[in-house]
Amino acid sequence: MKKINGLIFIFIIFLNASIVLAEDISGIDISHLWISEAPPTVSVLVAYVTLKNNTTKTASLVSVSSPLFSSIEIHRSIVKDEVASMERHLSLTIPAKSTIKLLPGDYHLMLFNPKTPLEIGDKPTLTFTFSNGVKILVKAQVKKRKYRKH
Amino acid sequence: MLTKLSNSKFLIPAMVALIILAAGTGFYISLKQSQNQLVQNNELRGLFWPNPKQIKDFSAKDHNGNAFELSNISGKWSFIFFGYTNCPDICPITMSVMANVYQHLANYYENIQIIFVTVDPERDTTEKLSSYISFFDQDFVGLSGEPTIENSLTRQIGIPYYYNMKKENNNYLVDHSASIFVIDPKTRLIAKLSPPHQPEKIIEQFKNIKRFIDEKD
Repeated sequence: MKKINGLIFIFIIFLNASIVLAEDISGIDISHLWISEAPPTVSVLVAYVTLKNNTTKTASLVSVSSPLFSSIEIHRSIVKDEVASMERHLSLTIPAKSTIKLLPGDYHLMLFNPKTPLEIGDKPTLTFTFSNGVKILVKAQVKKRKYRKH
Repeated sequence: MLTKLSNSKFLIPAMVALIILAAGTGFYISLKQSQNQLVQNNELRGLFWPNPKQIKDFSAKDHNGNAFELSNISGKWSFIFFGYTNCPDICPITMSVMANVYQHLANYYENIQIIFVTVDPERDTTEKLSSYISFFDQDFVGLSGEPTIENSLTRQIGIPYYYNMKKENNNYLVDHSASIFVIDPKTRLIAKLSPPHQPEKIIEQFKNIKRFIDEKD
C-alpha cells in the first residue's frame, strides 16, 4: 500500500513538473486573466485575457477548460447595424511574436454554467490547451467591471 | 437646422440582415419605427423629430412580479435597453454604462428611469431578472415576458431580436438591438442612442434632447 502511495506521489510530482515545464518551454505568456463579477444567478460568465506568443511559430489556442464550468468557449461580440451578436470561434490564432488581447466588447471567453457563484477575490484556475498539446494552467482574478470599453 | 432622413439609418440594413435570418424562430421587427424621422446632426443626433411615436398602453411584469404599464413610464424620462442575462459581454457593459449615467443624472433630475427588457423571457425568469437588475442598480426596472405580449414595448418600439441555435441546446445566443431608446414624460419614443455607449456621450445627448423637448412643449 505504501509503495502504491509512493508511486502516486511520484506520479503527481511528475505531472506537476510536466505542467510547469510546459509553461516554461511553451513560449506563450498568459496574463491579465480576469473574470467579470456578475449577478449570482447568471448562467454565463465572461473572462478576458492577454496571450503573448514569444516563439517564431504560430500558436493556436484550441480549448479552455475548468471543472468549475460545464464548458468554456471562445466568442467574439459584434455590433453591426446596431444589432449585437456573438460568434463562436473554435480556435484562436496567435501569430509568431505577437500578442492577442481579449477585451470587453470584442473577443472573450464564455464560461457556461458556473458550479458556484464567483465572488470578488476568488481565483479559479483555467486550463489553456494549444494545438501542439501544450497545456497552461492560469489563475483568474474575479474583478469588478469598469464601465469603459477598454 | 436639423438634418432629417426619411428612414431610420438603422432599420434598413438591420431588416435586410434579419429577413435573411428570419427562417429561424423568435424573429420580430416592427415597420412602424421607420415612419419616424431621425435627426442626424451632432447636437440632437438620435432624436426622433418631428412626429415621435406615441407609446400606447401595454402591460408587462417587472422584476418583482408587479404590473408595469403605461402609467409607470408617464411623467418620467425612461432609458430602455433590450438584452438577456446569458449575454455576458455587451449587455453588462451597457448596464454598467447605464448605472453610471443614472448615478449622474439622478443628482439633477428626479424623474429618470432605467429599464432593462429581456428578449429571452424563457430563461430570464422574474427571480433571475431581479438579481440581475439589483446587481447594477437597485432603482433599475427589469421587464420579463415582454416580447411575446401584444403591444409590448419591444413590439411598439420595433426591436429586432433573433434566437441562434435555440433548438440545439440551452446555451443558445440571442442577437438583439444594441441601441438604447428614450421615452419622454409624455410617453413618446423620443430618441435612439446608438452604440458604442459611453456615459459622457449619453449624458450630453440626453441633456441636449431634454432641452430641445422642454423648449418645444
